[in-house]
Amino acid sequence: MTINLSGIGIDYGAILPELVVAGTAIVVLFLELVVPPDRRRWLAAVTVVGLLGALVATIPLWGQNRSAFGDTVIADSLAAFFNVLLIVITILTVAISPRYLQALDLDFGEYYILILGATVGMMLLAAATSLMTIFLGIELLSISLYVLSGFARTALRSQESALKYLLLGGFATGFLLYGMALIYGATGSTTLRGIAAFTTAASSNAGSNVLLLLGIGFLSVGLAFKASAAPFHMWTPDVYEGAPSIVTTFMSVATKSAAFAAIGRVFIATFPSISSRWYFPLALIAIFSLFIGNLVAITQDNLKRMLAYSGIAHAGYILLGVLPGTAQGFSATLFYIAAYAVMNFGAFAVVTAIAAGGEATADLRHWRGLFYRRPFLATVMTIFMLSLAGIPPTVGFFAKLFVFQALVNAQIWAPLIVAVVMTIVSFYYYLRVIVVMLAAPEEAPVEKRPLGIPTSTVLGAAALATVVLGIFPAVVLDWATRAASLHF
Amino acid sequence: MSWYTLPASVPWLTLSLVIPLAGALLVALTPGEARRVVKQLGVLSAVITLVLVAAIIGGFQQGVGNLHLQFEETLRWIPSAGISYHLGVDGLSLFLLGLNALLFLLAIVIVDPLTPRLKQFILLLLILEAATAGILLSLDLILFYVFWEAMLVPLYFLIGVWGEGRRVYAAFKFLIYTVIGSFAMLVAILAVAAINFSQTGQLSFDWTVLVQHPAAGIWHLPVGLGTIGIQQLLFIGFGLAFAIKMPIFPLHTWLPPAYTSSPIPVVIVFAGLVSKLGAYGFLRFNLALFPDAAHSLGGLLAVLATVGILYGAFMALVQTDLKRLVAYASMSHLGFIGLGIFAGNLLGIEGALVQMINHGVIIAALFLVVGMIERRAGTRLRAELQGLAATAPLFAALFLVVSLAALGLPGLNGFVGEFLIMLGAWASFIPMAVGAGVGVILAAWYVLRFYQGSTQEAPPRPTSFGELRAAEVGVLAPLLALMVLIGVSPAFFPAAVDATVKALPVLLR
Repeated sequence: MTINLSGIGIDYGAILPELVVAGTAIVVLFLELVVPPDRRRWLAAVTVVGLLGALVATIPLWGQNRSAFGDTVIADSLAAFFNVLLIVITILTVAISPRYLQALDLDFGEYYILILGATVGMMLLAAATSLMTIFLGIELLSISLYVLSGFARTALRSQESALKYLLLGGFATGFLLYGMALIYGATGSTTLRGIAAFTTAASSNAGSNVLLLLGIGFLSVGLAFKASAAPFHMWTPDVYEGAPSIVTTFMSVATKSAAFAAIGRVFIATFPSISSRWYFPLALIAIFSLFIGNLVAITQDNLKRMLAYSGIAHAGYILLGVLPGTAQGFSATLFYIAAYAVMNFGAFAVVTAIAAGGEATADLRHWRGLFYRRPFLATVMTIFMLSLAGIPPTVGFFAKLFVFQALVNAQIWAPLIVAVVMTIVSFYYYLRVIVVMLAAPEEAPVEKRPLGIPTSTVLGAAALATVVLGIFPAVVLDWATRAASLHF
Repeated sequence: MSWYTLPASVPWLTLSLVIPLAGALLVALTPGEARRVVKQLGVLSAVITLVLVAAIIGGFQQGVGNLHLQFEETLRWIPSAGISYHLGVDGLSLFLLGLNALLFLLAIVIVDPLTPRLKQFILLLLILEAATAGILLSLDLILFYVFWEAMLVPLYFLIGVWGEGRRVYAAFKFLIYTVIGSFAMLVAILAVAAINFSQTGQLSFDWTVLVQHPAAGIWHLPVGLGTIGIQQLLFIGFGLAFAIKMPIFPLHTWLPPAYTSSPIPVVIVFAGLVSKLGAYGFLRFNLALFPDAAHSLGGLLAVLATVGILYGAFMALVQTDLKRLVAYASMSHLGFIGLGIFAGNLLGIEGALVQMINHGVIIAALFLVVGMIERRAGTRLRAELQGLAATAPLFAALFLVVSLAALGLPGLNGFVGEFLIMLGAWASFIPMAVGAGVGVILAAWYVLRFYQGSTQEAPPRPTSFGELRAAEVGVLAPLLALMVLIGVSPAFFPAAVDATVKALPVLLR
């Protein structure tokens, strides 16, 4: 792969959504200097407008196959799928941010800049077709999130969370980079296209190339860390618990989605010819995640920690869809990611709404009798819990169904049985939340702040989407199938 | 019964699902303080549903339609995954649909308007009604599964929130058992479609497609444990879900706590209808999709069903709590239904279908009686009740009719089903028929002791036991009428389901 600098395909149109988001970040950066402190809501509004612009800029990318910048990024349906998903998550996050930030006295403009920075990183990661851009995306999103985790400067837990994330994240980045170096050493290329050409060539004997396999292994560690799949999940519960709830909401959904976009591009599109080599380690990671996530979630009394472990478990389910290496499997993965984004965002958003309402705790004890104090929040939380457990008619059911279907069709039985058994286990802790909310309250109701229109709209929309997509999943499945089929 | 023809342009079956849901939506929008309105809305939607279902039953034409299915509705749902929205009704589901509508109406009518959180209670009952009706109407396996799982959530909350005693424990045990069965079925459903795809090249979860191509082949167990037929494996997958729901011995341990903890309106639909859905599942899926396996595994299941008959009967004999007594009686009677199904012949299956209706009618009436006793006497303990007939003769008389139907007296409905089942069992498994006969004798023992012990002898205890009110007679009346009607025209039900049953693949091999 020679790079001709004069014609490497500088195609700003292919990365227009990323450019718009990055541009918005810069605009917000300057606005922050002039907007008076009591008008910071404007920053949120500008951020949302910028993100909507990026959403519009994404539309023309659907159905294209536009490699740009010397094969380092691509504008295709897969990238567009993730762009839409990530931008929508970010818009929803920003919409519910002001209420939370004001309640916790964290209302600074930098927050929006960092969120936008992380979003650009994630979008870049989803569009990356080169080891360099994958790394660039991961670093961009990671560094923004390190800062955001510690955004509650005065809270010790937040500090601890940021430091833990930074140290462990740096370690994982080391693995990632080392893996990339080894892959480059083995294949002589940094673009995924070049690497794929090398591994599929019969002469390369890629399946027994130790350097390459080691590199893929290290790369997987780095990506699994970002997706918080076990056994690379250690940071997840502590960071999720310590970080401000709104940041947890954002990162639990968006980071995982972006990481899986990269996993899909690397494993399914780049290394299909040696799938027998990565199948077993990947299956092990999935099974580990299912076991650890579901079993440890049972013992959690803190809702944020419980959802952290549940997120690890869901990383396992999502990874299961990658295992067959088929178009059907990958479209099930994409559908699962979208479903997970909706329902998990909703669950964490409820935690955020509670935290901003004067009940600054995610401890399950304080959720007793929520149905009588805050019927709306309890009802939408019930929907999200049922969906996370995979009970129809919610989108979580079809997410699991499509993944299971892909596994059955590929005759992958052992991971399927683990997934089924662990799903049964998961009913315990998801339904427990509902039972707790229905129990008679123990303590006098705490003083509460009204939800406000943005928060209730976002929560209502997420709950509605969870149910509507649970009844009519065909449209999203169709998109997922088209986004996934590009590689085959 | 082809008394008239319903216009085909109306989606009758979808309507029967939508009306309870619309009722639930209206209830949800009503403020919780308007208790009277909430209950009236619930009753109204249940009445409309019952009328609609009655119209469907009246317009059903014996022996007509593709695979004897009628009122079929097919819509594209998730085409790329082979999933469609396909409803239809045939002899297997027709009368259960009627039972469903009737029992839910009775359940909502008897709900105490002072129940805490009445609105949510009625709401969940209506959602449950739509889910159970959906189970009976679905002809797409995934659609069926969606309703099957959707049924679980309202039931779980109805027991866990409004129940009595160790309600959370009972609800949870029920949930875990059911979910284990459900997921076994889900994997089997996916496997059925995958196998059908590899055999015919058509990706479909449609029952009408799958029923025409029974799975073939054998499965090699890992590490040299031998082989098992694919059909047998799939039969077990589906059967686990249905056997737990029925329940079949030894998968019944969730039942006593769940029934005992359920409030009376819930237990009426739970014991009266939901348990039958397990039996229905066996008929609709196991016997139709896996006929070979039904033959090879039927013997084992018939043994388990007979054990269930005897176990339930003996347990009913030693209960001191009347609600638990009826719970075990229900289990024992369900054993008969299982025996009829697994006998695998025409008489047995038709008997089972009749008995499914009978069981729903009788068990619902028995639980209603228990509820009436408990409300008046404040106790359900057998030892604390006697001589109730002295102050409540009408109650005692109606209770006697229910008891006689429960113990299978000729002339009432219980006899018809049990007799057909015994004939069917005799043709297939003589020892099981003998065991079932012992069960009939035991049933006479525990039912009569229940009746006599509570209504006869002097002095009456408690002394102030009040007579039935008109509303209570009204609730019991439709059930009593069905007991007599089915009893005096025993050929009606078997004739109505004859065509469907004769076409069941299990009878064609």
